[in-house]
Amino acid sequence: MRLFAVGLSHRSAPVELRETVDFARKGLEHALAELSTRGVGRELVVLSTCNRAEIYAVGDTEGTAEHVGRFFSEYHEIPHEHVREHLYVHRGADAARHLFRVAAGLDSLVVGEPQILGQVKAAYAVASDGQFTAALTNRLFHSAFTVGKRVRSETGLGEGAVSVSYAAIALAKKIFGDLKGRSVLILGAGEMAKLTGIHLQAQHVKQITIASRTLATAQTLAARLDGTAVPWERVDHALSAADIVVTATGASEPVLTRARVDETMRHRRNRPLFVIDIAVPRDVAADVGQLDQVFLYNIDDLRSIVQENLARRGAELARAEAIIDEEVAKYTAWMQSREIVPTVVALRQRFEAIRRAELARLEPKLSGLPPEARARVDEITRLIVEKLLLTPTEQLKAVSDEAMIVAYADALNRLFSLAQDKERGEVSSEEESEVS
Amino acid sequence: MHLLPLLLYAAAAAAYVAHFAWRDPRVGRLATALLAGGVLAHTFLIGMQTVQAGHAPLVGTSAAISAFVWLLGLSYLYIELTSDERSMGAFVAVLLVALDVIPALDPAVTPRPPVLQSPLFTVHVMSLLFAYASFALACVLGVTYALLFKEIKAKQLGFFYTRLPPLATLDLMNSRAITVGWSFLTIGVLVGGIWAWQVKGSSDPRVQAMSLADPKILVALVSWGIYSFALFARKAAGWSGRRAALLSGVAFAVVLLNFVLVGYFLTASHNF
Repeated sequence: MRLFAVGLSHRSAPVELRETVDFARKGLEHALAELSTRGVGRELVVLSTCNRAEIYAVGDTEGTAEHVGRFFSEYHEIPHEHVREHLYVHRGADAARHLFRVAAGLDSLVVGEPQILGQVKAAYAVASDGQFTAALTNRLFHSAFTVGKRVRSETGLGEGAVSVSYAAIALAKKIFGDLKGRSVLILGAGEMAKLTGIHLQAQHVKQITIASRTLATAQTLAARLDGTAVPWERVDHALSAADIVVTATGASEPVLTRARVDETMRHRRNRPLFVIDIAVPRDVAADVGQLDQVFLYNIDDLRSIVQENLARRGAELARAEAIIDEEVAKYTAWMQSREIVPTVVALRQRFEAIRRAELARLEPKLSGLPPEARARVDEITRLIVEKLLLTPTEQLKAVSDEAMIVAYADALNRLFSLAQDKERGEVSSEEESEVS
Repeated sequence: MHLLPLLLYAAAAAAYVAHFAWRDPRVGRLATALLAGGVLAHTFLIGMQTVQAGHAPLVGTSAAISAFVWLLGLSYLYIELTSDERSMGAFVAVLLVALDVIPALDPAVTPRPPVLQSPLFTVHVMSLLFAYASFALACVLGVTYALLFKEIKAKQLGFFYTRLPPLATLDLMNSRAITVGWSFLTIGVLVGGIWAWQVKGSSDPRVQAMSLADPKILVALVSWGIYSFALFARKAAGWSGRRAALLSGVAFAVVLLNFVLVGYFLTASHNF
């Protein structure tokens, strides 16, 4: 049994193709059932996000990879040539490594993004609920969740916002903690104001107030954000109630001057004020940031934070890869111990069968012995078999190379006719004498 | 035996600093375990001294510092376990090590003079030590607030930004620590006053020296004044955030000065 990962992602395929081979459209259950009825693999998991479509399958032969690859075009009814050159195939340990990198966000468009782990979990849950998974995939995906968690907690890979809006929200959280009880004032009602407002709304802020030169546009945005619109003349009043101010007007001169903000700071008894100026040209005079308890960030500041975060994520990659190496080693060791175990068991059974057969053959001669002596004979022969098998067993369990395992298993099967035994169920006396 | 708490505190401090720098959760758990071990060893030490002397070892500056270190370690552990926030540990544990050097080098238990054999004395010392432990935490919170504030204000989001809890949390915890500390400081000073009044007739020269002119008593009242101001200014004038943080740093410097320097060298009334 072998593990295969076959798929395409933003790294290998253009967006048009990724859209075409979206397995989520008809539901993952449907794709899994279809794969299963075609007998493509014994264990199956389908992962489908906007950036990737992948099938994890356990099959007996190399043909499984080919089957799964064909399924991509057959299921979506497109010519196979269109898909083939964009598909990648990973086998065994490489397939595990691939999934672990995906789960950790290393293979994502934005490296370190956290959503993918949830998507991997969901994909596994669907497959597991439909009973398409078994030992290999169960262990594989649980290891992947461990990798995701470890990379998150032990490296800085997922840290730091990588978009301007999230950078602003991360800052707000670092100043105010939870944003739930906080009030937001938005100056301007354009597209940028709306986008930032939507992000803030998602943080469940207490109140969003919108002010714009024209009250009507402010009211439109207020309706969209469940907020209240106030006339432009009331900005100072709204300012003293706000914790976070977003400025995004089209004004050519600064709307908030130092004197104006200083005045409201007195009304607000020095509570911290976070001013996010995303307007170009700037809406807030630079010296506003010098006021005590005022934190002023403009669009360039936020952009440079995003740049730094992206760079820092790059630096954390090596640590994440080290974690992945560790978990891949654990998983493959487990997988291989599973592969070699049947051979070890067969070998031991074979030896034990020979021992019993020999004892049975000698029964006429042994029957004359007193019971203790017979017990000794039984014990000694058993010990000899144990001793003979001790080193080979240890050596087999220590083999870590996948190809070597196959070679060893093959050699042992031939040398001791293990595979035939399994088929015939018992050992013939002819073979037995050859061995002994 | 008397060096064991110090060694464990030092190991805990190293682990807390390592955890703060590299954020390995295993190192963090190790740090907590080492600190808990240090506090436990310290509890045994204080327990043994109590048995030996027949009273709680609170007499003399070095014994008082030892008890203070023990209380601070215990209070910090409580806060860490209830808030699940380990980043303060690096600062608190370093403070523990710095202060515990004094009792570790001077571990002898001073016998209790007859004039101190009053329950009021124990209440006086314990309240003040607890107040100082709260102020120490407030100071650490203030220092970390200032560090984080500086980074956010300067738009240099870096080392502390990724490691410290939000400014609002630090400020809230600082305010709580000062409120608790101020309450115990007030109790401690009042009980001390009552006790001094009761033993007024004693011939002990140290009791004779109990007056507002004594540096220890004077500086204690000054620190009470500063903390009262900090509480009042926060409520009445919105002195929260950076100003409160700076104030808690300055005030704790005064407390530490009084506790260690004045306690050892300058006071005529409190050198038991």
